[in-house]
Amino acid sequence: MSALTDIYVDTVIGHLPEKSRDDIAAEIKATINDMVEDRLGDGSPSTDSQTAAAEREVLEELGDPVLLSREYTNSPQHLIGPNSYPLFIWSLRWVLPAVAALSVLTNVIVHIGSTPQVQLGALLGQTIGSTITALLTAFAAITILIGLGDRNKDGGAAEKLPGSKSEPWRVDDLHRKDVRGSQIRAEAILNLIFLVLLALIPLIPTSLVYVGHLNNGETFINPDLGSGWLLGYWGFLALMAVIEVIKLARSSTSAVLIITGVVLDVAMAVFLTIALLTQQVLHPDLTSASSAEVQQIITVIAIWAIVIWDQISTWRAHRANR
Amino acid sequence: MNEDEEQALATHEQELRRGTVVFASLVACRQPQYGYSLLTTLTEAGIATEANTLYPLLRRLEKQGLLSAEWNTEQARPRKYYNVTTSGADVAAALHSQWLELNTSITKLWKEGTP
Repeated sequence: MSALTDIYVDTVIGHLPEKSRDDIAAEIKATINDMVEDRLGDGSPSTDSQTAAAEREVLEELGDPVLLSREYTNSPQHLIGPNSYPLFIWSLRWVLPAVAALSVLTNVIVHIGSTPQVQLGALLGQTIGSTITALLTAFAAITILIGLGDRNKDGGAAEKLPGSKSEPWRVDDLHRKDVRGSQIRAEAILNLIFLVLLALIPLIPTSLVYVGHLNNGETFINPDLGSGWLLGYWGFLALMAVIEVIKLARSSTSAVLIITGVVLDVAMAVFLTIALLTQQVLHPDLTSASSAEVQQIITVIAIWAIVIWDQISTWRAHRANR
Repeated sequence: MNEDEEQALATHEQELRRGTVVFASLVACRQPQYGYSLLTTLTEAGIATEANTLYPLLRRLEKQGLLSAEWNTEQARPRKYYNVTTSGADVAAALHSQWLELNTSITKLWKEGTP
């Protein structure tokens, strides 16, 4: 056995689990020896050069050690596989617009709050730059998370044997294997996470996004805002959460749930519009007197843009799944 | 046959043989076989198999409980011998039935389609 074989075997087992390395290494070495011996034949003793040539042939027949190692690991050679692709696309379709909207809103508020004389060019520059960064980060996070999840999904695909006995198909399988059901559950879980984040907004200190100097690290929301407004806000979010929990439990949605969701979204938007137009909702230190009205109008426009986009998406998804 | 047709044929042949190697390995391992002996047995039987496909496959079949494996250190060179398990034999028998059914079906289809 030459150093060449040792290097080959070490390369194969280098990326394999520790516990299986010795066993696989021993088997490959035994195989290489058998193949070399077979090539040299049972005749007269071989010279070193003949053995070396046969060994090279054998290693070349076995092929790239990295590919052989992959065959042993049987792990998927892709980042997002077919099982996870629908979830990946769905996440991009929903999360990226939400991230963009939140990023635009936050940047506009922070910029107006932190700049004595707001200039449209600077506002656009900062908002667009930060939004692109946020979108790229969200894209990377979604890709990595779903890619990691995919590692546990596809590995066994190649182990399924053709012709192996499987349970006869039953209608109940529709519930067990319903892709749409899985998607609804995934949507409900993500929506619940989103609602929790929205519920936390009034409690988030400005120092969390590095603008704590604007109002001594207090919240983005006016501390003197009546508690009724906050309770109303959380009440709407709680009702929305109830709808998502029902979807999660049933793994399905219905026309009643969709209509209730639409009504709640619009009611919430009306509630926030009234709050923004009649109350000092944002922290006073984040609002300069000259730009307060502009800030309110931009915020109201953003809220309605999100609500309208949400309704269009819901309607399109409902039509697509009918 | 032009180059595209040859390439398409090679792809379909590869897919056809992929499942065949599993079946053939289970059948051949009714007698204890070490890796290289199995490789030569399959090749001599006309089922061309590459070593870099066969060894990982044997390991997967072992994990699935269809083959059992044991190192034999009594010989001059230690070798890992594979033997079909009871469930492996059941799977092989089922695959054999499937194989015969497929053969009948394809033959029938071929005859019906032949002018």
